[in-house]
Amino acid sequence: MRPKADLSRLLRPRAVAVVGATAKSGKVGRIIFETLLRAERPVYPVHPTEATILGRQAFKQVSELPAEVDVAVIATGAERATEAAEACAAHGIPFIIPVAGGFAEVGGSGAALEDRLRKLLETTATRILGPNTLGLFVPQERLDTIFVEHGDHVLAQGGGVAFITQSGSVGVEALGLESNIGFGLRAFVGLGNKVDLDEVDFMQHFADDERTTCVALYVEALPNGHEFLEAAGKLARRKPVVVLKAGRTPTAAAAASSHTGRLAGSDRVVSGAFRQFGIQRVFDEEQLCDAARVLAVTRPPEGRRVGIVSPAGGYGVMATDYVEAADPIVPLAMAKLAPETETRLGAVAPAFASLHNPVDLTASATDAMTVDAVRAVAEDPGVDIVLCVALFAPPGITDGLIRAICGLQPELTKPLILVAQFGPFTNGHLSRFHDHGVIGFPSIARAVRAVRWLVERHQISSRHRGAP
Amino acid sequence: MSPDLAAWLESLRVPQRPDEWEVKAALALYGVRAPRGVRLSPDEALPRLTFGEPYVVKVCSPDILHKTEQRGVRLKIEAAALADAVADLRRRFPGQPLLVEEHLKLSGRECIVGALVDREFGPAVMVGAGGILTEIYRDVAFRLAPCEPDEAVRMIGELKIAPLFSGFRGITMDAAALAQVIAATSQLAVDLGDRFSQLDINPVGDAGDAWVALDAKLILKT
Repeated sequence: MRPKADLSRLLRPRAVAVVGATAKSGKVGRIIFETLLRAERPVYPVHPTEATILGRQAFKQVSELPAEVDVAVIATGAERATEAAEACAAHGIPFIIPVAGGFAEVGGSGAALEDRLRKLLETTATRILGPNTLGLFVPQERLDTIFVEHGDHVLAQGGGVAFITQSGSVGVEALGLESNIGFGLRAFVGLGNKVDLDEVDFMQHFADDERTTCVALYVEALPNGHEFLEAAGKLARRKPVVVLKAGRTPTAAAAASSHTGRLAGSDRVVSGAFRQFGIQRVFDEEQLCDAARVLAVTRPPEGRRVGIVSPAGGYGVMATDYVEAADPIVPLAMAKLAPETETRLGAVAPAFASLHNPVDLTASATDAMTVDAVRAVAEDPGVDIVLCVALFAPPGITDGLIRAICGLQPELTKPLILVAQFGPFTNGHLSRFHDHGVIGFPSIARAVRAVRWLVERHQISSRHRGAP
Repeated sequence: MSPDLAAWLESLRVPQRPDEWEVKAALALYGVRAPRGVRLSPDEALPRLTFGEPYVVKVCSPDILHKTEQRGVRLKIEAAALADAVADLRRRFPGQPLLVEEHLKLSGRECIVGALVDREFGPAVMVGAGGILTEIYRDVAFRLAPCEPDEAVRMIGELKIAPLFSGFRGITMDAAALAQVIAATSQLAVDLGDRFSQLDINPVGDAGDAWVALDAKLILKT
């Protein structure tokens, strides 16, 4: 395993320079500069002709920049960005983020420019993120180089997920959508062409970062596949690691003369390898965000028995189907409630309620009844995790249920996952739950899937329990 | 590479292209059992066998890829019929060696264990429901090599046939013993290094306390 790179100054720079900053509206150099100005730290614009930019004195060239600049964001086109990168490296700036595309991904002269960047790595101590990247977004540091819409107002409050993505767009669009229901972001890292810093460097960094509680990755090509797995496996011993690997590799094509080769299919080897190293695999951007969102916040259950509380029989039945769906890797089971639990439920539930799991409080449910029922089910020794359906349409349910459930959660010794639906107010409600550390989803399928990821995480951590 | 494995590579009858008898010999270096057997050169007289009837006689050559389909395998041959079976196969596969093995009485339950090289992750090992329908069921699990026996047990647990290892309808196949075969296969793939391409043990048969390689094919990189 390579030595760990010290990325603290990249993710927490003393000062930042924007090469190619400009006052011209709509330009990437303006958007990045303007966004970075929101932070307290000094931000220095570099431009050959504009003397002042948004009221700040501009530097004519990189060599004039003060020594405290830890990160240079380069917002010009590939050719001038390469020259600027060379100037930044010569000036001793430790981290460079060339934003522009037009490098190796276009071949030809672009590849030659990327070779010049690679050369800098051999001759100087400078490290490069990118090129062809949206760069960084670290909410707690107010460090944001993303020049497209990215749900930044919601994500600004920060959280525990380190999100590392080869494709900036996948990360930005998916997180932007997920931020509607609340998402705790520790850091967004767009890797781009990975001329230097890659997944392994950032996994090693976030492994030791106390604020990071889950690492989520979107990857395509993994030229150092085994090193990636080693780093992810080491990280997974300490915190959840979720990976979306796109671009199923044609292993079989190269190996079709054996049964084994034909059976490898699209990417069964990847699934097996991920399991071996304790990596949780997901298959689309919604799953990636959902898994990271819940694994960063909710502690895993000690087992796989699910207790369900619902104010509507249909939701309880659907949830039961999803819980009992065959899954050879992470099988879930419906908990069998103890007679004492059913007696407790009988004392709070309305006359026609079903007191067996899934518990159906009927449309006569009230806020207090829901809280009491969740508490009773969670305290049953045969239950490992509680799934509560919170519908706000029943007349006895009020907005106060959010406060009540959020107040209950810290008292519970077992994890709680919600399904919440309330027409056009659903996302707002889920966000409020999230603000209080209660993770909910707008559908049964997504909620039970989240339960499965938590149980899978428990499997992974118990495998390493007691291991060195 | 161990001296034993290096010597094995050197000893191949057709360089770079091991036949079934040779592949089973390589597996034996890693503790994987196979039926007792002898390889006969095309003009070699049948020696005194150290194992009893019934026998299996098969054509044993890297040139014959589909020996079952070409009727290159004769099963349950009694001692009295052995010479005829050998003569029959020699007539139909002139110039090819034969393999004479003991015909083990097994449960009939079969798995496949294999290995290959993944483009991104390197050598990997596979286990699955075996036999001739393997590619129809596609009930398989993979891990990277080397794969420890503990991890191999978890692989087996992912298969649809996993209940057969824990008492389904009175059947209890030995997962730990099969895991040994998986781990050994993965280690062989690793030890062959750059020379390794693909390996199938299909089927590996349930012999109660052990799993036995009934057929095996190994493709090396040249």
